[in-house]
Amino acid sequence: MSVAASGAATPLAPPRHAARRVRAGVWLPLVFLAAGLGYPLLLLIANAFNVGDAQALPPTEFGIANFAELLNHLDWIGNTLLVSISATILAMAIGIVLAWILYRTTVPGQRVFEVLIAIPYPLGPLVGALAWSALGSPQEGLLNQLYASLTGVQEPLFNIYSVPGIIFVMAIFEAPVAVLMIGAAMQHMDSALEESSTVFGAGKLRTAFRVTLPLMLPAILSAALFLFTSMMGAFAIPTMLGTNARFYVATTAIYVMFQSYPPNYPLAAAIGVVLVVITALAVWASARVLKKRTHAIIFGRNYRPRRMNMRGWTLLLLAFECAYVLVSLVLPLGVLLLASLQKSGGLSWMVSNWTLSNFHYVLIDFPTTRQAIGNSLLLGVGTGTLGVAVATTIAWMVHRSQSPGRRLLEQATMLPQAFPRLIFAFGFMWMVMSLPIHLYGTLYSVLLAYIIVFLPLAYRGMSGVVVQIDRSLEEAARISGARWGRMMRTVTLPLLRAGLLANWVLLFMISVREVSASLFLSGPGTQVLGPAIFSFWDSGGLPRVSALAVVQAVIILIALVVVRRLARAKPGR
Amino acid sequence: MATEIKLASGNAAAAARPFIEVKGLTAAYDSKIVVREVSFSVAAGEHLSLLGPSGCGKSTTLRCIAGLETPVEGEIVIDSEVVFSSHRRINVPTEKRKLSMVFQSYAIWPHMTVFENVAYGLRTQGVREDEVRSEALRALQMVGMVELAQSSATALSGGQQQRVALARSYACRPKAILLDEPLSNLDARLRSRMREEMRDLQHQFRLSTIYVTHDQEEAMAMSDRVIVMRDGRIEQEGPPLEIYDHPQSRFVADFIGAANIVSGHVRPHGAGQPVILDVEGTAIECAPRAALPRAHADGSHMLAIRAVYAELRRDAVPELANHWPATIERRILLGDLVTYAVRWPGGNLRVHGFPNDLFEEGSRVHLHVPSVRAILVDAD
Repeated sequence: MSVAASGAATPLAPPRHAARRVRAGVWLPLVFLAAGLGYPLLLLIANAFNVGDAQALPPTEFGIANFAELLNHLDWIGNTLLVSISATILAMAIGIVLAWILYRTTVPGQRVFEVLIAIPYPLGPLVGALAWSALGSPQEGLLNQLYASLTGVQEPLFNIYSVPGIIFVMAIFEAPVAVLMIGAAMQHMDSALEESSTVFGAGKLRTAFRVTLPLMLPAILSAALFLFTSMMGAFAIPTMLGTNARFYVATTAIYVMFQSYPPNYPLAAAIGVVLVVITALAVWASARVLKKRTHAIIFGRNYRPRRMNMRGWTLLLLAFECAYVLVSLVLPLGVLLLASLQKSGGLSWMVSNWTLSNFHYVLIDFPTTRQAIGNSLLLGVGTGTLGVAVATTIAWMVHRSQSPGRRLLEQATMLPQAFPRLIFAFGFMWMVMSLPIHLYGTLYSVLLAYIIVFLPLAYRGMSGVVVQIDRSLEEAARISGARWGRMMRTVTLPLLRAGLLANWVLLFMISVREVSASLFLSGPGTQVLGPAIFSFWDSGGLPRVSALAVVQAVIILIALVVVRRLARAKPGR
Repeated sequence: MATEIKLASGNAAAAARPFIEVKGLTAAYDSKIVVREVSFSVAAGEHLSLLGPSGCGKSTTLRCIAGLETPVEGEIVIDSEVVFSSHRRINVPTEKRKLSMVFQSYAIWPHMTVFENVAYGLRTQGVREDEVRSEALRALQMVGMVELAQSSATALSGGQQQRVALARSYACRPKAILLDEPLSNLDARLRSRMREEMRDLQHQFRLSTIYVTHDQEEAMAMSDRVIVMRDGRIEQEGPPLEIYDHPQSRFVADFIGAANIVSGHVRPHGAGQPVILDVEGTAIECAPRAALPRAHADGSHMLAIRAVYAELRRDAVPELANHWPATIERRILLGDLVTYAVRWPGGNLRVHGFPNDLFEEGSRVHLHVPSVRAILVDAD
C-alpha cells in the first residue's frame, strides 16, 4: 500500500506513445479515400493544364491555355454561380420555414408533413426536371394549358425553360435536405435558451434574431454548404430545362464538351477545377465562420422544444406546407403518371387514350431500360451494403477507438462533400481508364464512385447512430464475460439494427436515383436508371420516359415505406 | 449464493490477504496523464471507496482494473492472478477478469427485458438454462424487482434501472464488484435509500467492492476504507472516521465534511510540548502530531477545524484551553443543522449547531475548540 501523496517526489514516466498504433480500421479507409479521391483530383488537375494532345492520358505538355480559353466562357461559371446561389438561398428559405413550422409551431399534421416533405429529395432532380418540363413548358405544359383553357389567354402563365424555372425546380427538390438538417438542430435545441431571452425582456423578434438564429447558424451553414455544393454539380435540371434556352452552366458545358467530337477533355477539366476551387473556398469560409462559434449546447439531450401557437397564422402556414407538397410531390408525380399512360404524345385526360404499353415497353420489351432497372437495383443494394459497412467502420473508429489519426479520418470522410459529384465522376472516369485492371464500363466502377460520393452522407447517418449508443452498454457486456463476437451479436448489432437499415435504405434510394456520378461511368451494357432516363429523354418520347421515371419513383417510394416502418420499429424486439 | 461467496470472515483475515492489488498504476488519455503511479490493495470482502473530485483519476483507475482502459504502466492482480502487467506484457481482456460493474449510466440494455439483462452474465458463462433462471430470479428478488422481470428495460425508472444493474452485477457470481458513481443520477431521497440497500447487499455477500464516487457522504456511509484521490494521485487513505477526524492535507479537510481552514505561524516549542499556532495574535493549541505538516510558501501553517467540532457556549469555562469570547454574526437554519458564522479573535469561523439550542444573531457567546480537534494539515 502506498503512503499518501507518495507520487509527489517521483518524476513521472511519460506515457509510451509507441504502444499506440494506428489501427487498420483507420488507415485502410484513409488509404482508400486518398486513392479514390486524391487520384481522380490529381488527374483532373493534370488534364486541366494539358495543352498537348487532348486525348493523351497522362498529358505530356502543360500550360494554362485552357484557363485562358475559359475566360471566353466566363458566362458558364457566372451562370453556375447564379443558379447555385439563388437556388441555395431559395431552398434554405423554404427549408427553414418548413422546419420551423414542423418542429416549433403547433400547426397540425406534423407527422404527415414530416413524411411528405422528405420525399422529393430521394425522388431526385431527374424526376423533378422531367415532371416540371411536362408541367411548365410554355406550349404543352399541363399548367399552362390549364391556365389557357380557364382564362382564354394565349400567353403562357410561365415558362419553366428559364433561369427562374431552373432555380425554382432545383430549390424545391433540394429543400428537404435543409428541412432535415435544420430540423434536427431545432429539435435538439434547449428551449430554455429562448425562454431566458424572453425572461430578460426580449420580444419574440429580438429572441429570434439574437438567440435562435445564432444558435441555429452552424446547422444553417452546413445545410447551405451541402446544398450549394450539390447544386454546383447539378446536372439533370439545368440540362433538361436550360439547353432549350441555350443556357449553359458548368456541368452542362462539361457534358457538351465530353459529347462533342473530338471531346475537349482539357477544357472540361479546367471548368471542373474552377468549380472545385469555388466549392473548396465555400467550405473554407464556412469552416472559418463556424470556428468562431461552437455551440455544443445544441447537441446532446433531446429536448422537447416549446412549440409556438400561431393562432391566426396557422392556416397560412398550413397552406404553405400544402403548397410545397403540391409543387414538389403531387403535381410532379401526377403529371408523370398521366404522361406515362398516354398512347401518343400530348397529355390527354381521356381514359380511352390511356395505355399501359409504355410500362410494358420499358420494363420488358426494351433491353436497355430493362437492364438499367436491374443494374440500378443491384447498385442500390451494393452501395447500401458496402457504403453502410464502410461508414459504420469509420464512425466506429472515429467515435470509439483511441487510435491516432481518427480525426484525420473523419475529415477525409467528409471531403467528398466538397466536390460537385459530376466533377468527381469526371476525374474518376480518367482514373478508371488509366488503371491497368479492366474497370471502365463495368458496374464496379460505378459502385466505387457511388460509395465515395455518398460516404459523407452515410458517415453522417452512422455516426449519429453510433454516438447515440452509450459506450457502457458494450462495456457492460464485456464485464459480463462476453467476448467481442458475442458482444457484437447480442448487444451492438441489435442496438444498431434500426440505424443500419435506415441508412442502408437511404443509400439505396439515392443510388437508384443518381445521375451526376454515373453519367460518365455507365456505358453500353452497364446502363443504370439515371443516365438511362436522361438519354431516353433525348430520344424516347415523353410517354416512355415518363413510364421509366415512374418506375424509378415507385422503387424509391417502396424503399421509403420500408424505411418509415423500420424507423418506427423499436430496436430489437 | 451467499454461501459460495464466503471469502472473508473479518478484518484480520482481510489484512492478511490482499484480494485486489494495484501497483504503480499510471494511465493516460492520449498524452494527458490522468493516473500517476497509484498503488493500493483491497482485502477479500472489503469495501473500498475511491473518492475525489471529477478529473482526479478515480474512474480511470476503476476502468483500468476492469480492463476497459489499458494503463501505461503498472501491475494489477486480482485473486492472485496477474491481469495486467506492463513489464511482463500481460493484459487479460475484460471478459476474462470475472468481475462485474455498475455503470454511472446503469448501461441497462434497452433491447432486452429486465430478466434477459440479469441473465446475460450467467448465459455467457454457459450456465444451464434452468439454473440461469433461478439465479437471475434470485438476484431480482434481492433487489425487489421480480414482478418486473418480463418488462422491457426501457420502461424502468432511474431507481429501477439502478436495481436491475445491481441485480445483474450480483447475479453473475463475480470475483469483485466495481461501482462507478452508481448513485449520481438519482435524486437525493432515492440516493440515500439505495445507499442503505447497497450496504445491506454488501454485508450479505461480503464481496470485495471498489466504489468510485465524488460524494463524500456516500464514501463515508458505504466503505470500510476510503482512498481520497487528487490529480491522479492518492492524497490519503484510511477508515472513514480517520480521514474525517485526521485529514492530512488542506485538500482532504476541505473535500470531506465542512471544515474551517485558518492559517497562522507556529510558535517555537520544545520536543514533546504541544504545538501552538499563532493566528492573528491568538494562540491555538493544536492536536499532537509526529512532525509538522508541510508549510505554505510564505512559511505559515494551515489548521483545519471541523464546523461540527467547534463548540459554542453561553457561559465561559475559563479552565479550558482554546477558549475565546465570540460573536454570532449570521445564523443559517439548514433543517437538521444550524450553521453559524462566528466572529472570534482569530477571524471568522463556521460552526455547526443543532436547532434544539439556538443562538441569536448578534449575541455574545464563548467558542471552544478542543485541542485534539485542531488539526494541522499540509498546505497546498
